[in-house]
Amino acid sequence: MASGVLQNVEIKGIACAVPDNVKNTEEYNHVFGCECVEKFSSMTGVKSRHIALDEQCTSDLCYVAATQLMEKLKWTPESIDALVLITQTPDYAVPASACVLQHRLKLSEDCIAFDVNLGCSAYVYGIWLAGTMISSRNLKRVLLLVGDTSNFGINPNNSATALLFGDGGTATALEYSEGKDMKFFLKTKGSGYKSIIVPAGHARSRSKTNLAALDYELSMNGSEVFTFTITDVPRALKSFMAQFDIKVENVDIFGFHQANLFILKHLSKKLEIPMEKIPVSIDRYGNTSGESIPLTLVDALGAEETCEPIRLLLCGFGIGLSWGAIYLEMDKSVCLPMIYTNYYYNGG
Amino acid sequence: MTVKEKLNKLEELLDIEQDTLREDAELDQLNQWDSIAVISLIAMYDCDFEKTVAPDRVKEFKTVKDIMDEME
Repeated sequence: MASGVLQNVEIKGIACAVPDNVKNTEEYNHVFGCECVEKFSSMTGVKSRHIALDEQCTSDLCYVAATQLMEKLKWTPESIDALVLITQTPDYAVPASACVLQHRLKLSEDCIAFDVNLGCSAYVYGIWLAGTMISSRNLKRVLLLVGDTSNFGINPNNSATALLFGDGGTATALEYSEGKDMKFFLKTKGSGYKSIIVPAGHARSRSKTNLAALDYELSMNGSEVFTFTITDVPRALKSFMAQFDIKVENVDIFGFHQANLFILKHLSKKLEIPMEKIPVSIDRYGNTSGESIPLTLVDALGAEETCEPIRLLLCGFGIGLSWGAIYLEMDKSVCLPMIYTNYYYNGG
Repeated sequence: MTVKEKLNKLEELLDIEQDTLREDAELDQLNQWDSIAVISLIAMYDCDFEKTVAPDRVKEFKTVKDIMDEME
């Protein structure tokens, strides 16, 4: 298992911006029928979601989150050494949206900027990646942006996906910090790549002539993803916790990817973690893809002003298939309150 | 686990009135047999019987008895 310890790195701040626009699950009663919607809502836990305006991109939400976070931390643009954006809904096929954001955030030309394509596991991969850049002692400050506007490319008549996803953009500030460390594991099971996929629209489909509209939409095999989640994820988590002697009682918050409520309850039961330690945001924000972990932390801790350390075990799992976890300590007050915005960039 | 216990467990899982489910009931004829039922069943096998039953295997089930035969 790819696992280890990143030394001398700490999370200094987390911000999350979601669209102002809210959709209640009940609004879909006329599309799918009351019974179907009620059953979906009861299983997944989704009651409402924040959905981006047509003009509003992931980069816009991440931009708002990053701007407010830099302001709070008094991080000047020239002090940021790297910007990493993890998204599956970039502004363009090319170039990388991170380059556009480097310009919009007025970061220095000496700043490293690039995109990474990951979904549900994005945050733990991002913390590892940004942490690695700092831990190697080359960089002091890294801005990790994770977000998605997952409702782009969703078939409004497919009940499995039309009611599930929420949109959001997050910014996490990581900085060199003597004596602070993070423990991690990361895994990949590419054999399951078809479990969650948009089959067409990129190079693999360019020679195909008989593509249907459906091929450009997100297709998800729910039972396959679920089986992966209840078998591979707890097995790896148990092994990780044993490797680093992490006990449930020594973790204050288990920040799990908000796949659906049924899965969260199942993981709670299987790993013997009390639900009180697993914050839930899916009821008001939906499944928010890669940003679900920082969004949930902001939702749970955004009002906290008490400065005291808390221990977190963050775990992301899904599309790829890809999964991993990070165990870290951070100050309870690092999360900004949730930001609601209709802002979008006019310069694109 | 007796046959009655298994049936009662499935009735609870599938939200079916107690003591009404029969072993020979065909799954296609049950309103409650849908994709969420498949996931609930996989979760039950995992938690209560510590076994992984693949979704493709569950989709092969024709009757309630097929479900019960895996509850060991």
